[in-house]
Amino acid sequence: MSSDYEYSDDEEYNEYDDDEEAMDVEDGSTSSEEDVEMDVYDDDIKVVSEARKAYEVDYRPLTHQQVKDLMVADIEYISTIFGVGSDVAALLLRHMDWNKDRLTEKYMDDAFSISIAAGISPVPKPSHSGPDRSKRVTRSSKSSKKIEQATISEPFLCPVCFDDTATDTLGLSCGHIFCTGCWAMYTVSKIRDEGEHRVLCMAENCGVVALNPFVHKVLSDDEDTCARYDELLVRNYVACNKNLKYCPFPSCDRSVSCPTASSRSALSTIVPTVSCGADPKHKFCFGCSIDGDHRPVLCVVARMWLKKCRDDSETANWIKSNTKECSKCQSTIEKNGGCNHMTCKKCKYEFCWVCMGPWAEHGTAWYSCNRYDDKSGVEARDAQSKSRASLERYLHYYNRWANHEQSAKLSVELYMKTEKKMEEMQLTTDLTWIEVQFMKKAVDIVENCRTTLKWTYAMAYYLENGNQKAMFEDNQRDLERAVEDLSELLEQPIESETIPVLRQKVTDKSVYVQKRNEILLEDTAKGYLEERWKWNVVVDDL
Amino acid sequence: MSGICRPRLAEERKQWRKDHPFGFYAKPIKAPDGSMNLMEWEVGIPGKEGTPWEGGLYKLTMTFPEDYPSKPPKCKFVPPLFHPNVYPSGTEKSWKPAITIKQIVLGVQALLNDPNVNDPAQSEAYTMFKNDKVAYERRVRQQARENVPK
Repeated sequence: MSSDYEYSDDEEYNEYDDDEEAMDVEDGSTSSEEDVEMDVYDDDIKVVSEARKAYEVDYRPLTHQQVKDLMVADIEYISTIFGVGSDVAALLLRHMDWNKDRLTEKYMDDAFSISIAAGISPVPKPSHSGPDRSKRVTRSSKSSKKIEQATISEPFLCPVCFDDTATDTLGLSCGHIFCTGCWAMYTVSKIRDEGEHRVLCMAENCGVVALNPFVHKVLSDDEDTCARYDELLVRNYVACNKNLKYCPFPSCDRSVSCPTASSRSALSTIVPTVSCGADPKHKFCFGCSIDGDHRPVLCVVARMWLKKCRDDSETANWIKSNTKECSKCQSTIEKNGGCNHMTCKKCKYEFCWVCMGPWAEHGTAWYSCNRYDDKSGVEARDAQSKSRASLERYLHYYNRWANHEQSAKLSVELYMKTEKKMEEMQLTTDLTWIEVQFMKKAVDIVENCRTTLKWTYAMAYYLENGNQKAMFEDNQRDLERAVEDLSELLEQPIESETIPVLRQKVTDKSVYVQKRNEILLEDTAKGYLEERWKWNVVVDDL
Repeated sequence: MSGICRPRLAEERKQWRKDHPFGFYAKPIKAPDGSMNLMEWEVGIPGKEGTPWEGGLYKLTMTFPEDYPSKPPKCKFVPPLFHPNVYPSGTEKSWKPAITIKQIVLGVQALLNDPNVNDPAQSEAYTMFKNDKVAYERRVRQQARENVPK
């Protein structure tokens, strides 16, 4: 794909995008009633934000219908330029993976051959075709006209089911005729079993593709499959369009348009977290397949980290808890007997499993294993810890990463319990529903910030030591401390008398936590743009 | 699924008996009790003249799924054949409902001496075909002798 194409396409897309955006603003950006409700309670603890933050990307959630409209717009565009029907235009676009410019170029170049390649017109046959296919009806050639007449005079025999009683027959532009029943069965199996939107003619080696009205006609009795076919077409459109992505949440049919994150190079400076808007939980990364929010860390780094965790964390934990290293040759040793007198298989060094000091001191009057600060023991342990530093370093980051994930889950559980309690209190006291909603908001914030914190550990693991990392870790520390404080407040017992005080505290803390979170995300996002972050590994482009 | 599978196979059988390429055979497998199972056929494919496959008659079974002819039959050589592609291309993407059994078996015969190197299915035959054509042909000739029809 040429870069020229991408550029022009993006530009055009953006124009379209902007118009829509302007409309949205007029609407007040709250399209559904739920949003309005949420916004009311947002107000008390929302940090006022006017402009888009550096860590946010420009994107537009789209409903299934809106995507369809985009698709139809593309089809109409091609249809007007080429002067062909919209069904033919759609098939041409599908053939060229919805690349309008390349299609235009190729079509202007040689409309005939691209029509054949797309499956619109059949490959022209020499007039005397093989004798074994007597059912072929070719309109152009004289000799086959005779055959056509011949087939009309004798009863039609469907070449697929060999039924000579079928009266309803259908064929594509290639002229291969089959009975309607066979067409329906074949089309359903293509769409249902294979998830294929390209329904080719049933004849051998025939590359003609069924146009949409044909498929709809064949499936006129089967609304489900018809709907599935339409969905496959839209899915194909989204899959081919770099600016679009489907929401990965199960049974969600919305998608997101995010032209700023459509190129791979963009992903080295931004983390495009988007939401389809159907539900606040439907948050995902436009750049990679990790669901949820992995800000502030880049897609590549996040993937590298997850891979490392999958590969190494269990092994590293096991090594850490079950083995020690020979203080002389650093071989990893697993203790397999009860006696503390260890002899390294490799270098024959004898040492004590408990204090790691040389065994020679244990059998004599010098026995000092019971003393912690015995010189040789300390030295041996130092050597050990040095050689384990990288393992320890990894586990440090991993444990904190995993801990935030765990805590986020637990706080959601806590919220469920609290919610029950709040419901009870609404019944027993005169507290209103609104007055107890601050808890929900706070839990959302904690969960959100714990996700950020979680990924900061992945980021810190790969950051090169230096001032920048120190500053990053300062931000991390501030956020972590604030989150832990808020978390603790949430754990406090809820009594009706203390609710106003608790409510005030939680609300204040929530604002602070959110601010800290924004500071951290803002700083890392800016850091990417300023190329401030230096990695201690090679971070290659995806 | 409506049951066009069996009528179609019955018709295929009729067509085959009326006319089939020389040296080939194709018939539904008979169960021990004498009943005929249309869903499974045994097929014999002769090696093409002028190729190392000449003289041999290669047996394969064709198993038809219930949704045949929307879905292709599964073809399997018995005993397994020394060949870079065990499965003929007819069982894959390029399947069309209008392809007849006659066309399948002719396709398999053509494939014998014209293996599709982009779709290797057997490492031994594939590597020998790629690296040592002489040894490969010798092996194919030997296989042809082993498969001379009695």
